[in-house]
Amino acid sequence: MIRLADVTYRYPRATVPALDGLSFEVSTGQFCAVIGANGAGKTTLCSALAGFVPQFYRGTITGSIEVAGLNVVESPLADIAGTVGLVFSNPFNQITGARFTVRDEIAFGLENMAVPVAEMEPRIEEIMRFAGLEGLADRSPFALSGGQQQRLAIASVLVMRPKVVVLDEPTSQLDPVGAKEVFSVLRSLATTAETTVFMAEQKLEWVAAFADRVLVLHQGKLVADGPPGEVLASPDLGRYGLQPTRYTQVARAAQLAGLRSADTPLPVTLEQAVEFFN
Amino acid sequence: MSQSFSLYIPTNSGMHRLHPLTKLALVFLCLVLGLFLPGVWLSYATFALIIIPSALWGGVLPRLLSALFKTALPIALSLFLIQGLFWPGGTPILHLGPLSFKEEGLYFSIQRTGRFIMIIGSFLLLTFTTRPDELMLALNRHGIPNSITYIILSTMQIIPRFQAKANTILDAQRSRGLETEGNVLVRIRALLPLIQPLLLGSIVDIDERAIALEVRAFGRKGPRTSLLTLHDTPAQRIARWLMLLAAVAVIAWGIYLWLAPRFIA
Repeated sequence: MIRLADVTYRYPRATVPALDGLSFEVSTGQFCAVIGANGAGKTTLCSALAGFVPQFYRGTITGSIEVAGLNVVESPLADIAGTVGLVFSNPFNQITGARFTVRDEIAFGLENMAVPVAEMEPRIEEIMRFAGLEGLADRSPFALSGGQQQRLAIASVLVMRPKVVVLDEPTSQLDPVGAKEVFSVLRSLATTAETTVFMAEQKLEWVAAFADRVLVLHQGKLVADGPPGEVLASPDLGRYGLQPTRYTQVARAAQLAGLRSADTPLPVTLEQAVEFFN
Repeated sequence: MSQSFSLYIPTNSGMHRLHPLTKLALVFLCLVLGLFLPGVWLSYATFALIIIPSALWGGVLPRLLSALFKTALPIALSLFLIQGLFWPGGTPILHLGPLSFKEEGLYFSIQRTGRFIMIIGSFLLLTFTTRPDELMLALNRHGIPNSITYIILSTMQIIPRFQAKANTILDAQRSRGLETEGNVLVRIRALLPLIQPLLLGSIVDIDERAIALEVRAFGRKGPRTSLLTLHDTPAQRIARWLMLLAAVAVIAWGIYLWLAPRFIA
């Protein structure tokens, strides 16, 4: 579903590549999270999967990127739009301003794809329930809170039913409850709708709880790739500017203090921590 | 205004319920009347006889007059002072020490102020009573490309968007001790540190908004559908044609009045 082969990308006038020799594959229906310190290349990777790198940002790219059967380096952005959905971190700038109410804002993408109005309405209602936007249909998108705007941005992309959803730190403006809701929505999307979810995220506890797989980027290179339990408990995480989850930190301290066996696998989620200390 | 990022004032008046193109045709006729015919007072007459009653019907007259006063007054004052006092040659009608107001300069200032009031008044009437998305849709349905109508829509939103961004930056700067209130000099000095973040931030915003539009298939070619519905009536369609014909007639008459003396000479 997502296939990168030896991708290296440089922004215009940059001397150092933002993505450096990336190769990996993500299969259909997988929830894949990419983590890394600031400047590791997460945003660039997300933009590349949706075709905006290099088509919008220019620069030079080598290697190949295939998403849902499309060569996103060369396919027109208008063709990619219906297949790959992109949500980024600033919710305010994702509101197009072309529509006056929340309902119409969600409809905007469907209108551009010429979806019949009769089909549009139930899809909008369904996605509003899914994203927790009930009761806000007639409000101005600009009158919503940051968290509501982010949910609107996600709903506006999901309503187009893309095969792959790429999200660049979509929970940065959300409170913990809102962030958990977004992760739950994406998890069920991957499980039930067989949509591939690719998400750059800093909240490692949620990544540990919801993702199937974690990639670690460091200075544009892929330095770790595996299940959350393995990648997030790795002692190498600190080298890449990342801090393990608090469960892993406490468990590691317990091992160092001799309270728990050093052979027991470190927990990355609350449930695993409970099991570890029991 | 800040909640919707447009100047639209949502009420349910008859003016609001008119088809966007009917209001656009009315504004076009006002502009043509004020700009194509000679004379000093026609712009004022257009303003008084068309724009004011329409704004009253739309329930937006106080807001329109207030906005107009704030924008037109500084321009009118500077026009009267500069053109009145420094008109080359001309007939002096009022002496102020070594300076004198010239009749021709005042005549010119009255005419230009009238045109300015009429142009801004028409624009405000349209934006106060028309939802930007409905105007965009109406224009799309009449063959104007999406990209062009989006530029029109963005133009209608640019003032409130800039205002909101500037306020956020000013708040941040005030919280760090920047003095932004006081006499004119203090206010001008406070503007300097505002310009750079405002412009750079706006460029980033434009980039991100362009991406948001592309993600939503805005660049897709071919037919589109719309959840919005526009209400139109045969009477409005006839009125639009009549206003357009009147505008064309006024333009032709204005060109004739402009050319006739040259041919006679």
